[in-house]
Amino acid sequence: MNDDTLILYYYNDGLSEDERRHVEAAIHSDAAVAARYDGLCRQLNGLADVDTPPVPAHTVQRWHDAIDREARLERGHVQQPRQRAFSGFSFAWGAAIAAVLVIGISLTMTGPDPVVEMPATTTSAFTRGVQVHFRDTYGQLASMPIEASADRTQLVLQIIEQNRLFERAAEQSDSDDLARVLRAFEPILVRLAAEDITPQEAAALRAQLTFELNVMLTKLSRDSSNETGTATTGIKT
Amino acid sequence: MTTRSRLIIATFALLITSAGFAQSEVRDAEDPNEVLKIAALEALISAPPERALPLVMKVLDANNTNEVKERALFVLSQINLPEAQNRLLDVARTGDPELSAEAVRMIGIGGNKEAMAGLADLYKSGDEDLREAVLEAYMIAGDVAAVNAIATNASSVEEFEAAVEMLGVMGAIDELRALSQDSGYTEGLIQALGIAGGDDVNATLMDIYRNADTDDIREAALEGLLISGHDEGVLELYRESDDIEEKRDLLETLGIMGSDLMMEVIDEALAGGA
Repeated sequence: MNDDTLILYYYNDGLSEDERRHVEAAIHSDAAVAARYDGLCRQLNGLADVDTPPVPAHTVQRWHDAIDREARLERGHVQQPRQRAFSGFSFAWGAAIAAVLVIGISLTMTGPDPVVEMPATTTSAFTRGVQVHFRDTYGQLASMPIEASADRTQLVLQIIEQNRLFERAAEQSDSDDLARVLRAFEPILVRLAAEDITPQEAAALRAQLTFELNVMLTKLSRDSSNETGTATTGIKT
Repeated sequence: MTTRSRLIIATFALLITSAGFAQSEVRDAEDPNEVLKIAALEALISAPPERALPLVMKVLDANNTNEVKERALFVLSQINLPEAQNRLLDVARTGDPELSAEAVRMIGIGGNKEAMAGLADLYKSGDEDLREAVLEAYMIAGDVAAVNAIATNASSVEEFEAAVEMLGVMGAIDELRALSQDSGYTEGLIQALGIAGGDDVNATLMDIYRNADTDDIREAALEGLLISGHDEGVLELYRESDDIEEKRDLLETLGIMGSDLMMEVIDEALAGGA
């Protein structure tokens, strides 16, 4: 019995009479469930004092999706496959570069640096460009075939090239904060491009990247909202 | 209040508490509770930094999985407050190895001068993984001088080559050339030049190839040309050579590079004019 069911029981909401009786019986017959429920009650009783920050619409949507998914799982008793914890740092940088080289595609700067056209002349225009890049990258990663390593590699290499253009643009526009974030994505992307990683490892790297992209999108949206007084949204997943 | 909104608020509230009922077992990445916690962390960045900071700190203090804590570290890197940067440094110094390396990466992303200064000590005292993480953090922060200092003071070939490789990634050609004044062009330096790329580097790699004293250096120069994608240079070397074995190697390199010039060479070879 999970915590969400106990929370619904606490609020006397969302459970049928049979379900409520089942929870009640579990609390009375199972000491572990009773202890968890006691702990939940203590926390939930103090909820009125919790001052939560505003939550972006896309994040609320993700919560909804997660809750719906759990509901489906509970109904269908579907067993989720375990995903192994993965440390991205177990991959040596050099080995990752070499892995990319093996497929015969150079990731490195060939010849002179590409000329980067700065969007308009303002930082805000550049920031909007970065937001588009982050959204595009998020979408590409979300639809990326994790199992098909060759397709994954091709797609990620394209993302790396695009990311590099924005890295240079950020450096040229003195957007140091964004330049650092963009540079930080690259080692993760290079690891994700390697063909010798398992689907679980690829999924873990993708999860890390999509989280970081989403955080940056939310932050950029917040910053532009603060500047203009208008609300903007990040990614709707 | 609807069922759904109660669940959302309750889950968020539970996430930010450090209560003892946080589950201790390693969670699946698709565990709905884990997904909710990570989504809640995403949302925190929309809050003012002063309000988000204590909540992120609580996530780090609570009995959460490393995956959740790693996500919290990223959020922390985006909070431009001294406490956030200090906490990153604390985790880097004392966290478990996985979290420690991630905290180091986040210090690079944050770019805070004081926190960056702390990386030097971490590098000295850290194991190989942590040292690699520090080099990567310097790369993220664009701190060429710090990486160059590591290369200059390296106490082993492995340490030197790891640093020069990172200099190559950072495009620090001047520093790589300066290092070659002391040590000559080692294989690692040559490869790093290839990673840095550019016309000047290509010319240098061609010179190194032509004047190589050993096969290893010649191979490293060819690999550098491969990495930098200088197919025209490889073709030039092919045409200069009278050695069949060498020509075969150069042709193979053009093939690996996926160069259109290879067809030109094949045409010449088949016509007997190689």
